[in-house]
Amino acid sequence: MLLIQQIVNGLMLGSVYVTVAVAFTLTISILNFLNFTIPTLFMVAGMVGWGLAFFGLPFGLGGPLPWPLALAAGIAVAVACSLIVERFTFRYMKMKHGDSTEHAIPLVSSLGFLLILENLVRISYGSDAQRFPGPGADLTANIGGIFIRVPQLVSFVLVIGLILGLVWVINATRTGRGLRAIAENPDAAALLGVEPNRIVPIVFMLTGMLCGLAGALFAVNYGEVSPQMGEDIGSKAIAGMVVGGLGSLWGAVAGGVIVGLIEMLTIHFFGADTVQAAVWGALLITLLIRPQGLFGHNAIGKGKL
Amino acid sequence: MLLEVKDLEVTYGRTKAVRGVSLSVAAGEIVTVLGANGAGKTSLLRALQGARKPQGGQILFDGEDLTGMTASARVARGMALVPEGRQIFVSMTVEENLLMGAYLRTDGEVKRDLEGIYDRFPNLASRKDMRASVLSGGEQQMLAVGRALVSRPRLIMLDEPSLGLSPLFVQRLFDLIEELNSSGISILLVEQNTHMALSVAARGVVLELGRATLSGPAAQLAADPSLAEAYLGAA
Repeated sequence: MLLIQQIVNGLMLGSVYVTVAVAFTLTISILNFLNFTIPTLFMVAGMVGWGLAFFGLPFGLGGPLPWPLALAAGIAVAVACSLIVERFTFRYMKMKHGDSTEHAIPLVSSLGFLLILENLVRISYGSDAQRFPGPGADLTANIGGIFIRVPQLVSFVLVIGLILGLVWVINATRTGRGLRAIAENPDAAALLGVEPNRIVPIVFMLTGMLCGLAGALFAVNYGEVSPQMGEDIGSKAIAGMVVGGLGSLWGAVAGGVIVGLIEMLTIHFFGADTVQAAVWGALLITLLIRPQGLFGHNAIGKGKL
Repeated sequence: MLLEVKDLEVTYGRTKAVRGVSLSVAAGEIVTVLGANGAGKTSLLRALQGARKPQGGQILFDGEDLTGMTASARVARGMALVPEGRQIFVSMTVEENLLMGAYLRTDGEVKRDLEGIYDRFPNLASRKDMRASVLSGGEQQMLAVGRALVSRPRLIMLDEPSLGLSPLFVQRLFDLIEELNSSGISILLVEQNTHMALSVAARGVVLELGRATLSGPAAQLAADPSLAEAYLGAA
């Protein structure tokens, strides 16, 4: 029974990794861009959410907000940050110093934004971990002896819904076709009337939403936020993405779940000390046996989503 | 004149690809631009469609100055470019490729236009839900033309459409160009297949190292002894 409980917990943790891994996959497949600000956006949503719920609005504009509202605001701030990152890493720096095929500039300047955002949060809220005042622990459903916290269940459903929605947008809408077109051949897409300056922000908006949602879910489910919370999640999400197959949306989903399960099952069988070894060991084995990942292909950045 | 180009200059880094080219396409006319590799034909077309910013000169479409307009604004005004090497989206289905041609359209008649394309190209109809990568080179060229047609252009610019096609498909392509023209679409045709291009065009312009060295009615160009020389790039 405890094992099943751990599998359920692994799925719940995995859903956080999935969300962040999908965000990474979007920017890599569509823009051929490894966006280093993704773990930071995750953290920003959690920390801003906590700050608003604990201190209230800045400049004394209002008292502490109820936690769902605070988290929604945190997600909005993450989206806004992501759009600012687009403006400067992708549009300004690229136009000023490179051409449309330049990939090093956005990569390096997104690293710069990681530092800027993380330190802004540290300056505002300090660098300590904080307890997030989420819903109480009494919100637990007991299904045949398996305990599922209701917020976890809700967030699991939210993540699944969001990803299905995302897949639908990419596969079946005009915007999705435009995104796939600039992913495969930005030049031909532009000739047909797709404007990068209009459609690239959509990728960043989705990235901000995914990371923001993941950060909010993490805050609610694990009850703790800190300016460093993105680092571990971000690197595990990358591990999951590579295990699942770089550049594949379903790969990111599978990889995120696998990493979550590995983490929880390792804790169950071998204890918490061995988690890092198990996760990175799984990545190493994947790279040795199936370098393209479970659902991957060998054409990264060639517009296959 | 539907399209009027005056003293156009296009530079890539230090290379002057197009050096003061002027040409025009009247409504309903086929004009061909001939020249060897590196003569500046592709740069000319890319500047016309707004993919490359010209350093000088003027482009008028239906009397309107296109300077500073994005490619998207030009598509919306009725210009379509079928780029060199077809540039279809191989990760998308045939139908999705055609829908990309309708990217800017918001009217409800896109579906009807797609049916029209399928009637014209039955090979595309039978493969509409397959990835475009399964198409042969000739079919891909038809798809690229079809994609341009879905934007309902008044002017189609084709960049070396016959490149790499079998003689059979080349013939079909030029038949298609004449067909489109007789349905009222003006055509600016960039080609290395001089003979075929001059056989469908009303007028021609020969580019040599970025300059228009020769221009006139197609029949006159076809009879010009210096054309073979210009076409081969001998200077």
